[in-house]
Amino acid sequence: MLSPYRALDLTTERGLLCGQILADLGADVIKIEPPGGSSARKLGPFYQDQEDAENSLYWWAYNRNKRGVTLDITRSEGQQLLRRMAKDAKFLIESDNPGSLAHYGLSYAELAADNPGLIYVSITPFGQDGPKASYADSDLIILASSGPLVITGDEDRPPVRLSLPQGYLHASAAAAPAALIALYESHRSNRGQHIDISAQQAAAQATQSTILSAPLNDAETRRMAGGAKMGSLAIRLLWPAKNGHVSIAYLFGSAFAHFTKRLMDWIYEEGFCDKAVQQMDWVQMGGPLFGGDPKTIEDYERLKLIVEDFTKTKTKEELFRNALERGLLIAPVTTLDEVVHSKQLDSRQYWTTVDHDEIGKAFAYPGPFAKFSEQPIAYKRRPPKIGEHNAEVYGELGLGAQALAELQNKGII
Amino acid sequence: MAEGQQTGSESNQALAGVKVLDFMWAMAGPGSTRILADYGATVVRVESTTRFDAVRMVGPFQNKQPGPNNSGLFNNMNTGKLPMTLNLSKPESRDIIFDLVRWADVVTESFSPKAMREWGFDYESLKKIKPDIIMLSTCLMGQTGPHSHFAGFGNLAAALSGFFDPTGWPDRAPAGPFGAYTDYIAPWYNAAAVLAALEHKHQTGTGQHIDLAQAEASLHFLAPFLLDQTVNGRTQTRMGNRDMNFAPHGVYQSAGDDRWVAIGVETDDQWRSLCETMNRSDLGSDERLATVKGRLANQDEIDAAINEWSSQVGPYDAEEKLQAKKVPASAVETINELYEDKQLQHREHFVDLEHPDFGKTTVEGSRFKLSRTPAQINPVAPTLGRENQNVLENILGYNEEKITELVIAEVLE
Repeated sequence: MLSPYRALDLTTERGLLCGQILADLGADVIKIEPPGGSSARKLGPFYQDQEDAENSLYWWAYNRNKRGVTLDITRSEGQQLLRRMAKDAKFLIESDNPGSLAHYGLSYAELAADNPGLIYVSITPFGQDGPKASYADSDLIILASSGPLVITGDEDRPPVRLSLPQGYLHASAAAAPAALIALYESHRSNRGQHIDISAQQAAAQATQSTILSAPLNDAETRRMAGGAKMGSLAIRLLWPAKNGHVSIAYLFGSAFAHFTKRLMDWIYEEGFCDKAVQQMDWVQMGGPLFGGDPKTIEDYERLKLIVEDFTKTKTKEELFRNALERGLLIAPVTTLDEVVHSKQLDSRQYWTTVDHDEIGKAFAYPGPFAKFSEQPIAYKRRPPKIGEHNAEVYGELGLGAQALAELQNKGII
Repeated sequence: MAEGQQTGSESNQALAGVKVLDFMWAMAGPGSTRILADYGATVVRVESTTRFDAVRMVGPFQNKQPGPNNSGLFNNMNTGKLPMTLNLSKPESRDIIFDLVRWADVVTESFSPKAMREWGFDYESLKKIKPDIIMLSTCLMGQTGPHSHFAGFGNLAAALSGFFDPTGWPDRAPAGPFGAYTDYIAPWYNAAAVLAALEHKHQTGTGQHIDLAQAEASLHFLAPFLLDQTVNGRTQTRMGNRDMNFAPHGVYQSAGDDRWVAIGVETDDQWRSLCETMNRSDLGSDERLATVKGRLANQDEIDAAINEWSSQVGPYDAEEKLQAKKVPASAVETINELYEDKQLQHREHFVDLEHPDFGKTTVEGSRFKLSRTPAQINPVAPTLGRENQNVLENILGYNEEKITELVIAEVLE
């Protein structure tokens, strides 16, 4: 769908996912790395634990469908080459600190002077301006300053993150629709623009709008093992099963009542609660529950224990099978091994084989993010090796073998 | 009628002229059409007064008062859309929907797959009355497969997709990510998918159907770990706040009650600066700890030293001292402190809306900035059925007599 367009991807590990989404959608994405390779290639895990720039699974995860070239943009010949490439590119994506590319004469204004249609996407921790714009950053810094961290974890331990960086993934995924909004607009104006993505603002989406509790004057959300506390309401999402855990949305009010009723019917059938409990008014209890009514919260606490006594007598598979049959809000907590062997994903042929000809093996990758009826996403290229497409891409610019050899000798590419 | 009269949106907005009929509910779907509305698309959001969007009854609530128009979560996901109520059990409402389909470029829905078929609003049916329609169907598990009819919220998709297991402490049950985690990822992909389909229609004149499973799109946020599973056969799991590539990397005790500072060191320079800040030249010059490999092997010792220092310093003091030396560090901001965050304030992250009952309420603004066609947030809360008259009169061109008949027949409920 984006096949008419070229994107120059200058990002580090902070922004690779944006170009990945555009490449999956068909754009000709050229990943530009410094000679020697991107810093993302240093990130593990590694193929067979062999620490090598070509073996980084982090690199593999976010660079398929891209072509790869090397270019030293800190030197003037490299900058000239980038300016030439930017003349007929539709997108440029970068994730350097604000002002870094301007230092090399590669700011939006400078590149747009030669190519007014260029859509220039900047992905940074805090945005292009403001008191934290030049902060030193890493994943935890984004999560600590955008909300998801403080509401995750056990009360008696520090707030905790998902064990794989997420902050920048939100930013670089947000960058994809942002770039496509600018593309839509450019058909009318024939002009591009500069897009300024803040990872802090993007990751704040993972607070589920609880970030609004101060201006709304509602109770503050705090972390809790297997759930979260909103004021005096301790919402529990994690429940024990015989062989692991399940997540249940066990709540009241019109949104949840019919699910909760079906669960309590089952619990009653199996003798874990009495008739009076089974017949409670789950719709009516919603308002008081979310409003923090002490009596309703007391009931909720008592009911949670009944549900726990019930779930721990069942396996997570049993609970999920009944969720499917009875229409319940219960899902098993799966390990990543179980995810890879999911029957559902298998039946949708989700896992997609990518040939690694350089190794002589093929591996299963997480599949297309959506199924498009007109132009399905295809995985056409494995992630590029360092400088793999130098001759091809620079050849398209009109550089001959001799010019390339010269650039290579100088260490520009 | 002019576009501006329908929506209050300006014709110079990026997505001016894009018409969306939105049947989505909860977060993953509406979060994506919110992005389109911010940039000028006209989004008609259909609910009914008896079965309105479930998150209208999920907090945080304005002034702690649960009620369908008071939810900060609903308002945050739906600001700028045209909320309309229709009683789908009335035959007249079907005619209204078909008229809206003829008007729309895009129809979006997030029901379970059989619901749209039963109503006769599935893609094949809609295509007959609007051949070039773009339709996005997004549910937890996708339109096909043994779990396709499993309905629910993002906490369930997050559990099924492996997000719970790698979040928390290795010696304890998983903490799980906060709330409905995949609901915070899917909006980026849903919006990108619709925009890519609009681009395809721009090029070819054809619409299409998009099947986006929230679980499948979200798995890309776990891709490096999933590849470790499929390529190396190793199952990654939770490791607290540690990172497989960097050390020290943690959330450390600060002075104060339940206060914390996040520190994520990615380079040897940052490590030496951290030691300097803590007045621990002994650690800074310790050969064992000079490289990341050495630090990864001695994390308990390093973490103890950092906690000894950080517990004597307030979280914001620690942030200031460490950032002054370019060490990635941030106070773990509480949810209520985020409203005062100087960077979010600078970026005008919070936006006030007019509210009929409270005078004002607050949502978040766009999470990115487009330099030439910035987001324009319609400053009115999306109260239930607010735009019924506007949609029928100005979008569908119904006359007053017809509208009155619909009101009397209780169709607009």
